[in-house]
Amino acid sequence: MSDEREHEGEGGRESGGEGGEGGGEPRRERAIGEEHIERVRVGHGANCSSIGSVIDTLFATATVGAAVFAAIVAALKKEEVRVAGGAAATAGAHAAGEKEDA
Amino acid sequence: MIVRFEPWGAWVKLESTPAIVALGREGVRALGLDGGDRWRDADVDPNAAPRVAAPSPPIEVHLAVTARCGAGCEGCYLDARPDGLEPPREALERQLDAMRDAGVFTVAFGGGEPTTRDDLDVLAESARARNITPVLTTSGLGLSDARIERLRAFAQVNVSYDGPSETYARVRGFDGSAAAERAIERLARAGVRVGVNVVLTRESFPELERTLARAKSLGACEAQLLRYKPAGRAASLDYLARRLSPDQARSLGPTLRHLAGSICAGGDFHVRIDCALVPFLSADDELARDPSRLARFGVFGCEAAGALAAVTVHGRVAPCSFARATELAGDRLADGHDADAELARWRAYVASPPEPCASCSMRSVCKGGCKVVASFVDREHGPDPECPRVLAHRKEQAA
Repeated sequence: MSDEREHEGEGGRESGGEGGEGGGEPRRERAIGEEHIERVRVGHGANCSSIGSVIDTLFATATVGAAVFAAIVAALKKEEVRVAGGAAATAGAHAAGEKEDA
Repeated sequence: MIVRFEPWGAWVKLESTPAIVALGREGVRALGLDGGDRWRDADVDPNAAPRVAAPSPPIEVHLAVTARCGAGCEGCYLDARPDGLEPPREALERQLDAMRDAGVFTVAFGGGEPTTRDDLDVLAESARARNITPVLTTSGLGLSDARIERLRAFAQVNVSYDGPSETYARVRGFDGSAAAERAIERLARAGVRVGVNVVLTRESFPELERTLARAKSLGACEAQLLRYKPAGRAASLDYLARRLSPDQARSLGPTLRHLAGSICAGGDFHVRIDCALVPFLSADDELARDPSRLARFGVFGCEAAGALAAVTVHGRVAPCSFARATELAGDRLADGHDADAELARWRAYVASPPEPCASCSMRSVCKGGCKVVASFVDREHGPDPECPRVLAHRKEQAA
């Protein structure tokens, strides 16, 4: 999927040269780390009346907590970027419809 | 991943793992992105009058797709009935358009009983086509295998399940536990990710561990604990007898800690708490001492008119499912959320609450507790009257 236009939605944009799959250059590893994560909301939740938050990870061991953040960082490093809102999201939605896991 | 720029950085919805992440600006830059106008608008120019960033639209919307339901639960917050209104699909799709334009990440379909709609699968696909993750709540009553097949587009389905047999009946006024249990089992067997919603009342709370163990044994992967709220048919004097006792509210933190170490220990079953339960955690010294930990693990208190919005069956935006609807139409969510006076009033209260919330260590997470409860019990949009800290403060003031 070409993603360059999708990085321009909602006034935001791509600032580095990392590009996407359509950028023509190999993607550099993103320098994202656990220290950049301010909040993690795990899971989908499926309640229709009040917003819910997973709480058991809060009480879990440090190892389990660290594993949650490590998995998030790994996903942040590898997932393709699309920008939410307005026309950019529409473009993304069309492309997402072609993706198996969208 | 889907990135939504915010004045402080960005919300990011991951797609390979179900999670929503808040990144500060440095984190967003580490992804090779910047927030452009969204960040510049929030910056304060030292040579000019400070500009206030526009409030952010919700990341989660609760969408009532029908007011039709034959269950007749005594405490139904919507007062749903067998002949309830069912909005046309076209209207709901316009609302989904507005959610897409606002950058909403998740839409939770509810009602009424949403599975009474014949086009539920189409609506779920419509949400997905707009990059919005659809999830669903159902009573499970009448959920046949054929209907389950039409729920596959949902990322998760939660079945209302307050406990086995008599516990269920004490909360809802009839025993629908067998149907709910069958639904959990069938959904899990069909490969649909299934959780349960458990309403905490004075009578269901002591049975909680047994309820969750039963749900887990049937194939549920998650339980969302819900505070009983005085809305719809539950907005009656009966509420005062059904709500958690002050002792039960104070024991929520230790109870959750115990559940985390027992039923959740294997990592294959999770417990969520709803926004309205967060103030009860103020009685837990360990959590109250370090609210940044709650924040880091993404715990949300009252996000009504903030990260959360609801769209009623009449197509109007409400701060949350339990609050009175505003005049704002659901299909105007993207361009009307900032300016709507009632939504702004809810946000303004959270930004500047009175005591004892103003000095509470958990204020930034809890956000003042449940305003729906406050409006019913105290007749004002004020501090949560069932919060242990608020109760202690009032006792002190009265002495």
